[in-house]
Amino acid sequence: MHKLRFIAHKELRHILRDPRSLIIAILMPILMTLLYGYAINLDIKNIKLAVIDFDRTSASTDLIGRFYNSGYFSKATGPVSIDNPEMILKKGQANAVLIIRPGLSEAIQKLKNIRNRAGLAIDKYELGLIVDGADANMAAAAGSYSSIIVSQVIKDNLPPGFELPGIKISRQVLYNPDLKSSHFFVPGLIAIILMMISALLTSVTVAREKESGTMEQLLTTPVTPRQIIIGKTLPYVGLALLDGILVLVFGVFHFGVPFTGSVLLLFAFGVIYVISALAIGIFISTVVKTQQLAMMGAMMVTVLPSVMLSGFIFEIKNMPLILQIITHIVPARYFLLIIRGIMLKGSGLELLWVEASFLILMSILLLSVATKKFKLRVG
Amino acid sequence: MPEAVTIDRLTKKFGDFTAVDKISLAVNEGEVFGFLGANGAGKTTAIRMLCGLLLPTSGSGRVGGYDIYRDNEKIKKSIGYMSQKFSLYGDLTAYENLWFYGSVYQLEKRVLKERIEELSGDLGLGEFLDRPAGKLPLGWRQRLALAASVLHRPKILFLDEPTGGVDPVFRRRFWAMLYDLADKGTTLFVTTHYMDEAEYCHRISIMHHGRIVELGNPAELIQRYQQPNLEELFVHLISKRSSEPTDA
Amino acid sequence: MLRTILALMKKEFYQVIRDRNMLRLIFLMPIVQLLVLGYAINTDVKKISTAVYDFDRSRLSREYIKAKTAGDYFILSSANPPVLDAVRGFKENRFSAALVIPNDFSERFIEKKPVGVGLLIDGSNANSASITSGYAEMIAWQFNRRQLDMPEPIVMRQQMLFNPESESIYFMVPGIVAVLLTMITVMLTSMAIVREREIGTLEQLMVTPITVPALIAGKTIPFAILGFLEMSIALLFGILWFGIPFAGSWALLYGLTFVFLFTTLGVGLFISTISRTQQQAMFYAWFFSIFTILTSGFFAPIANMPQAVQYLTYLNPLRYFMIIVRGIMMKGASIDALYPEIIAMIIFSAVIFTSSWLRYSKRVS
Repeated sequence: MHKLRFIAHKELRHILRDPRSLIIAILMPILMTLLYGYAINLDIKNIKLAVIDFDRTSASTDLIGRFYNSGYFSKATGPVSIDNPEMILKKGQANAVLIIRPGLSEAIQKLKNIRNRAGLAIDKYELGLIVDGADANMAAAAGSYSSIIVSQVIKDNLPPGFELPGIKISRQVLYNPDLKSSHFFVPGLIAIILMMISALLTSVTVAREKESGTMEQLLTTPVTPRQIIIGKTLPYVGLALLDGILVLVFGVFHFGVPFTGSVLLLFAFGVIYVISALAIGIFISTVVKTQQLAMMGAMMVTVLPSVMLSGFIFEIKNMPLILQIITHIVPARYFLLIIRGIMLKGSGLELLWVEASFLILMSILLLSVATKKFKLRVG
Repeated sequence: MPEAVTIDRLTKKFGDFTAVDKISLAVNEGEVFGFLGANGAGKTTAIRMLCGLLLPTSGSGRVGGYDIYRDNEKIKKSIGYMSQKFSLYGDLTAYENLWFYGSVYQLEKRVLKERIEELSGDLGLGEFLDRPAGKLPLGWRQRLALAASVLHRPKILFLDEPTGGVDPVFRRRFWAMLYDLADKGTTLFVTTHYMDEAEYCHRISIMHHGRIVELGNPAELIQRYQQPNLEELFVHLISKRSSEPTDA
Repeated sequence: MLRTILALMKKEFYQVIRDRNMLRLIFLMPIVQLLVLGYAINTDVKKISTAVYDFDRSRLSREYIKAKTAGDYFILSSANPPVLDAVRGFKENRFSAALVIPNDFSERFIEKKPVGVGLLIDGSNANSASITSGYAEMIAWQFNRRQLDMPEPIVMRQQMLFNPESESIYFMVPGIVAVLLTMITVMLTSMAIVREREIGTLEQLMVTPITVPALIAGKTIPFAILGFLEMSIALLFGILWFGIPFAGSWALLYGLTFVFLFTTLGVGLFISTISRTQQQAMFYAWFFSIFTILTSGFFAPIANMPQAVQYLTYLNPLRYFMIIVRGIMMKGASIDALYPEIIAMIIFSAVIFTSSWLRYSKRVS
């Protein structure tokens, strides 16, 4: 026990003295949180819209106003050439071009004067929307939001008591009624940061001692390999959990992410998850010769998959089958479901037991492999 | 005899720390000059100033007749340098290393080829030419580094601890090669802290805390100070200096 | 001097070729990255698993359900599950949406009265939630139009340019190419210079009559060439494997890449002046890359970032290059469309490269 504490203490001093470790442990989580909180926003809310208005009546002005006030569209950048909408898109001045042909004002007047249903069979007035398909999502969104705005215009201009037939979708959003994207990424961010700190820093630790030759020195003392591992990794567990808690607190109090489930449960799973990350870090550490390679290896094997393949931002079910299968060996995938479930939906163990078992299984497996490899390398 | 290297009150300060303190000396053409001193005495800093790697804080100097402040490029064309790290490219073969440095010194292709053959013959590198420099044993790397530094037949050769870590047999052979070069007219400016090597030099200087504390022929100095050998002389001089109060 | 530069370049290439890890990095990485990023990065919102409650059970309601689940968007996951199960379903992520069709659906519809259909959406992922509801509206609109055979007073005719198949991969791959180019050139250049410093050969070079411009050229040109090589591999792979279109001019793309390289090589040069070890160099290079990539509009639109950050992105050279690459590849844009970005990039490249050069020169003398 005493030996453990001594090793852990030494490791802690290493961390505090190495600027790189400190940057990873402190600066990165902060930067990532800020980045994802403020910069990276995948919502489609600022579709740049250029408007070519040939009608120039109060009706068209009203329509334009609706587009820009909807919260989905923003103004195009710079002066646009009205005779070449394609150029507007090519130049990137806008993502979509709305063309208001002359006659809108009359069409709306006709709408207002409808007496009966037959009156709906009037000449169609056509608005034009040219969309930049490069960003497929944005294009689809531009299309559907425009349709919504146009149908609202129609509805508003029909005489009172006159309702358009057909389906109307009444929507209700569960778990995140204000549709704040922070609710989605904060739990994910915690998962990434925990993985990053645990794996990245741990991977460097054994490699560093190997490089400087002090590992040999340590092994000549009456310390067992198991004690070395535990002693070395303990500070990182603490550090990782501390960072995780910080981001959690920040997320809840600053970004307003809800926490509807059990804190204890989350903590328990957090520890198990961190252990799996540590195991990976140790494994990399024993396989690799230099600190440089250790860091690169850790990045490739832990952080990258955790960001790309865990469901953090990109939907797993959209990926091709091979990748979907690969995601099953990414611990972050399971933890992500667990943390999102606990925080956003108040799920308990009875709902998350599948993910939980996977995670526990993975941790045990990884830990035993790592320990065996470590003993092999040093014994 | 014309002087190959002359320095007058050469000084280098790094902030408050004076690494080289007003040293003056002259090295004659064809001489083998030993630049001795303890670790941290300022030897490497001095050599780097002479090679044009470092700009002095004050003082003057001429290398090969050229001023060290104004004619840096001309100096570089006429000197060779061998560092303690044997600066070689590990994954390139010995031949490729030589070819590379020869090209950098603008040697014509045919000339370079002949020169490499000549040098590998002189230094016994023949069988190692196709081996990656990183895989050569230390003694052979040393010779390769020497060859690389003399490809362009420099008039003056600066060697900074060229024998570090090499076994005594190789060291002696190396010095034999150095003498060969000196016989052919090259001036050699060597730093070392192996005292036995210092005895091979025509003249030596001993640096301590950035200053030159003694300069002259090794045999004469030994006699003058009544010491059994150079090593004792060195220790005597250094400890004497250390116990004396520092003078201006 | 040309001879010296060529000798330096030859040496650099030999070193790269003989380093197995380096080779793997250079050739495998673009392909692996493209594969993983190309397939994993998929922000399309599709295959939304939906639980459907049909309280009407009429022919019409079934038609509607069919229309809804016909395309790629909604997938019928469960029909009329018990309510408790539905709640669990949401929590367990078995479904992300639930459709509720009231029992007077067909009645009201046939009588040409408006009918409310409920849609419950899992809001955890705010982005896909909005898009989901957008799709639902669109499908409802189309259904209305088809079934009621109603002429609409005002219609919107939509036309999509540049990516008719709506593949998000087409949008990603040009970005990935730009990203790869940046990372590789910055990292390799900075590390190569620092490595020479570490092993001592830089000092050896400084003793020779080599000039600083020759040295810089010798250390940057090989990596510029490598960068072009990487880019070409990535582009070819993207076109042959993913089938991405190339609508514009190859010459223009390569020409502008040449300009952009001055930026990345300059940054590599700069990093080499602030790093003492290769590890540090790698670290700084990586940091720089990540930051530049995330704020370049690679996958998160710049328009979504807060104003302050948006202003900052104007200082990010990759932002302009990203627009240029995507513009040329997907929209066939040429100089007349891209000249603001081109000018910006030229200015950046000139400034960054010159100041890095000066800083480097200062350090060595």
